[in-house]
Amino acid sequence: MLRTDQILSTIQMLQAENLDLRTVTMGININDCAAPDINLVCRKLREKIRSKACRLVEVCDRVGRKYGVPVTNKRLAISPASDLLAGHGPQAGLQIAMALDAVTTELGIDLVGGFSALVQKGITSADATLLESLPSVLSQTKRVCASVNVATTRAGINMDAVRWLGELLPQIAQATAAQDGFGAAKLVIFANIPEDNPFMAGAYLGAGEPEVVINVGVSGPGVVSSALRRRIETSDRKLTLLELAEEIKITAFRVTRAGELIGREVATELGVPFGIVDLSLAPTPKVGDSIGEILKVLGIAAIGAPGSTAAVAMLNDAVKKGGAFASQSVGGLSGAFIPVAEDSTLAEAVRQGHLTLEKLEAMTCVCSVGLDMVIIPGDTPPATIAAIIADEMAIGVINSKTTAARLIPAPGKKPGDLVEFGGLFGAAAVCEVRNPGQSSTFIDFGGRIPPPIHSLRN
Amino acid sequence: MFEQSPGGRGQNRYVLNVMAEDRPGIVSAVSGAVADLGGNIEAVSQTVLTGYFTLIMLVDVPASVSGETLQQAVASAGGDHAFMVLVRPATRCTPRAVPAGSGSFIITVMGEDRPGTIFRFSSYLAERGVNIVDLYGDNQQGRFVLVSQVQVPPKWDIGMLQADLEHIGQELGFTVRMQHENVFVATNELRLQREAGA
Repeated sequence: MLRTDQILSTIQMLQAENLDLRTVTMGININDCAAPDINLVCRKLREKIRSKACRLVEVCDRVGRKYGVPVTNKRLAISPASDLLAGHGPQAGLQIAMALDAVTTELGIDLVGGFSALVQKGITSADATLLESLPSVLSQTKRVCASVNVATTRAGINMDAVRWLGELLPQIAQATAAQDGFGAAKLVIFANIPEDNPFMAGAYLGAGEPEVVINVGVSGPGVVSSALRRRIETSDRKLTLLELAEEIKITAFRVTRAGELIGREVATELGVPFGIVDLSLAPTPKVGDSIGEILKVLGIAAIGAPGSTAAVAMLNDAVKKGGAFASQSVGGLSGAFIPVAEDSTLAEAVRQGHLTLEKLEAMTCVCSVGLDMVIIPGDTPPATIAAIIADEMAIGVINSKTTAARLIPAPGKKPGDLVEFGGLFGAAAVCEVRNPGQSSTFIDFGGRIPPPIHSLRN
Repeated sequence: MFEQSPGGRGQNRYVLNVMAEDRPGIVSAVSGAVADLGGNIEAVSQTVLTGYFTLIMLVDVPASVSGETLQQAVASAGGDHAFMVLVRPATRCTPRAVPAGSGSFIITVMGEDRPGTIFRFSSYLAERGVNIVDLYGDNQQGRFVLVSQVQVPPKWDIGMLQADLEHIGQELGFTVRMQHENVFVATNELRLQREAGA
């Protein structure tokens, strides 16, 4: 028999602290949609997604309601779209993206990831077709998310791809200038991209994954900050960081369990294998549902002040320890995200000048996932954008972890200007980029930064 | 289950119910009285609510011991602290309260206390054959919390029951949730969910 205090503590977590399951993401391999005629590719793509995902939204809603934990987003992650582009013309990328946009709209699915290319060691003609189509795809579709893996610990960093993306990002932003460059918010550039990440915009279904699979991403920054605050307020003595780390662990365990339970049941009902739970604490722009708020409760009064990196490191580690025991199978990114625009406290810290690009970069060394949803001035030189990406990729490559860059060069915006995307993508002030134009010679060399010596592990 | 119990032939089985003001030694006094009669306690559950103790026991006693004797022995074991004791013969088989395949759900009701709240919700459940297997209610500074663990017959659509209960809650000014028990198991216990039949 369950104890009443256990029931009430779960109720507190679900209701007062708004625990939800941030995403149930269905991975679908689309390689069998290949065909010589691009119209046939698109038709097969629509048919395959309809047949696999037509019940996804309905089942997620029903199971979420049964447990009282809403599934906020239902998403798709396809195998890399670049695989379908081989041998097709320059318009093929946009046609495929339009087909994806249409079928996910029809099925009520929020976003579809996997308009992706893996180019860490070289760019194939199909990859090039995909990259060239990004400005039109990200400006003419609503639900399609793109990602490009430009680096791995085994391959090093493809600086030709990094340079190209430095040029593409302003083009994408310009193509969506009416929305302050929002198109760039749907593109993630990765080092060591995970094959089973359920979070957007970087979700895709990697090689070695099943034909169809259900992966889930939990939420819970609001639950963690409330639990910490309650622990501190109800204690009759001064607590140590060891005790606060323990509280985070316990909360992460409970949050992960809710995700595991629902994810498994959704997978069972849909008759597909269950993949992983991504433990990442994913903030939303909603007040309180914030990683920055957790850091404040941990005593960092201004996010970005000395101590911020240590606090994020402790948080990230405790989340993993709690979540790992809670789930049979952990995967994806599984860390604490610090997406600036999607986290109201982080966004405010940038606005006030407490949190700089350099400090954000330092924090990404110890957490997931990288320079995420960082809005930079629209006139930032492409080579400087490429250099920011290269720095972030180097952190991932050298530390054998996933890092990413989701940078939005907002057209016409200067440091401190406010940019608002709305919904889950949030709002933030433009972050200052110091020393613009000082990295162009480095970027101009191109080629590849070789993998680190510790990649030779065999 | 009774046929297989150690009670067996030559024994009488009774349901024993004791209520008293709470103090140390009540269980000792009651179990001592049962033991003195040569009885065996088959199952027991007790709880204390705002200073009042209550206990329900399944007791096997020799056939020579009547229910009245058992009742008097336990009542006198209370000494100065009067025990209210009820004894009734146990039936020979456990009645099944709900159909097989019923789902276990938790209903939580929270809001400003007012008379008739439990009646309103429990009568709705009773009309649908939903069995309450555990109930906890507490009133703290005017805020009433009611937690009931219920078994829902498989014929009911959970979404419909949830909608009805939430509607009743809105009428009365209460927040009402009905959730499958596994979400509470998953977030509080070491295993993700209980094995079937456990």
